[in-house]
Amino acid sequence: MAVNPDSTGPIAPLRCGRDAALVWDRAEAGLAPDEHERDCPHCAAVFADAGRLNVIVHRMAAEPVEPPPSVLDRAMRAVRSEFRPSDVLVLASPYGPARLSRAAAAAVLRHAVDRMSGVRARSCRIEQDPGPAGCAVTITVSARYGLELASMTARVRQMVLAAAEQALGLPVLRVDIEVVDVFSEGAP
Amino acid sequence: MTGPGDDPAVRIRVSEAVVARLAAHHALQVPGVLALQADLGRTLLAAAGSVFGSVARPAARAGTSATVADGRAVVAVIVVTRLGHNCRDLAQAVQQSTATAVASYTGLQVTVAVTVAEVILD
Repeated sequence: MAVNPDSTGPIAPLRCGRDAALVWDRAEAGLAPDEHERDCPHCAAVFADAGRLNVIVHRMAAEPVEPPPSVLDRAMRAVRSEFRPSDVLVLASPYGPARLSRAAAAAVLRHAVDRMSGVRARSCRIEQDPGPAGCAVTITVSARYGLELASMTARVRQMVLAAAEQALGLPVLRVDIEVVDVFSEGAP
Repeated sequence: MTGPGDDPAVRIRVSEAVVARLAAHHALQVPGVLALQADLGRTLLAAAGSVFGSVARPAARAGTSATVADGRAVVAVIVVTRLGHNCRDLAQAVQQSTATAVASYTGLQVTVAVTVAEVILD
């Protein structure tokens, strides 16, 4: 016991007159209680306390630390959603830096094109040059079989421009549309 | 930072945690802001806190961080919105209302950097 009696003042002994620290030390050392300690309720209490602490400490030390299963999941989600400068588009703002996740912007444009009849959006890439200029959007689509492609691409282009302006607030300078597949009417 | 009056006997220091908390509160009031998203460091801290006992209380101001120096505060806010709110307008609204609110409360000069991290599609 590393309690300095000088610094804390005289330590009151147990009611039976014994020093609790000495009794505790004996208990901790695993010694059997002597005759007085067996009968004295105060000393017996100290023995019991020491035993109890011993049990707690050893149980905790023996317990394997098991992180809850959600931790890995949450950490990975955080890692995935962490932004690198290349993952964001710059939004125009007079009040300070404003940015938009590139993936979120692409998802919005894909969603808008997907809602059009006769067209399914596949992938969408948005490139932004440094500076206040607009973005270049490259979107790949599959078209319904029989649809006139020239007018379809004109519709997709218009949809991308409108969605980028209305939903994102992102000026678009160029839209590249690549028709990569066709599907028939009944297809999902 | 020195208080609003020029009395040198009164000095107010506004901690970064206060600024971040205020910013989070006001950013969430902006229509179109569904939630704030914590960055990697804070999420890991929160995850660690849930295992090893509370490290700090990061949850209360998750999604915002602030640095304060020389009477100027720079606040970073990461927001989640829903399709239908123009991201540029939303970002500007968050910047404006958060900066105004934090500045009037703390007397600091506040710049708010907003990142729209996610747009929820219905």
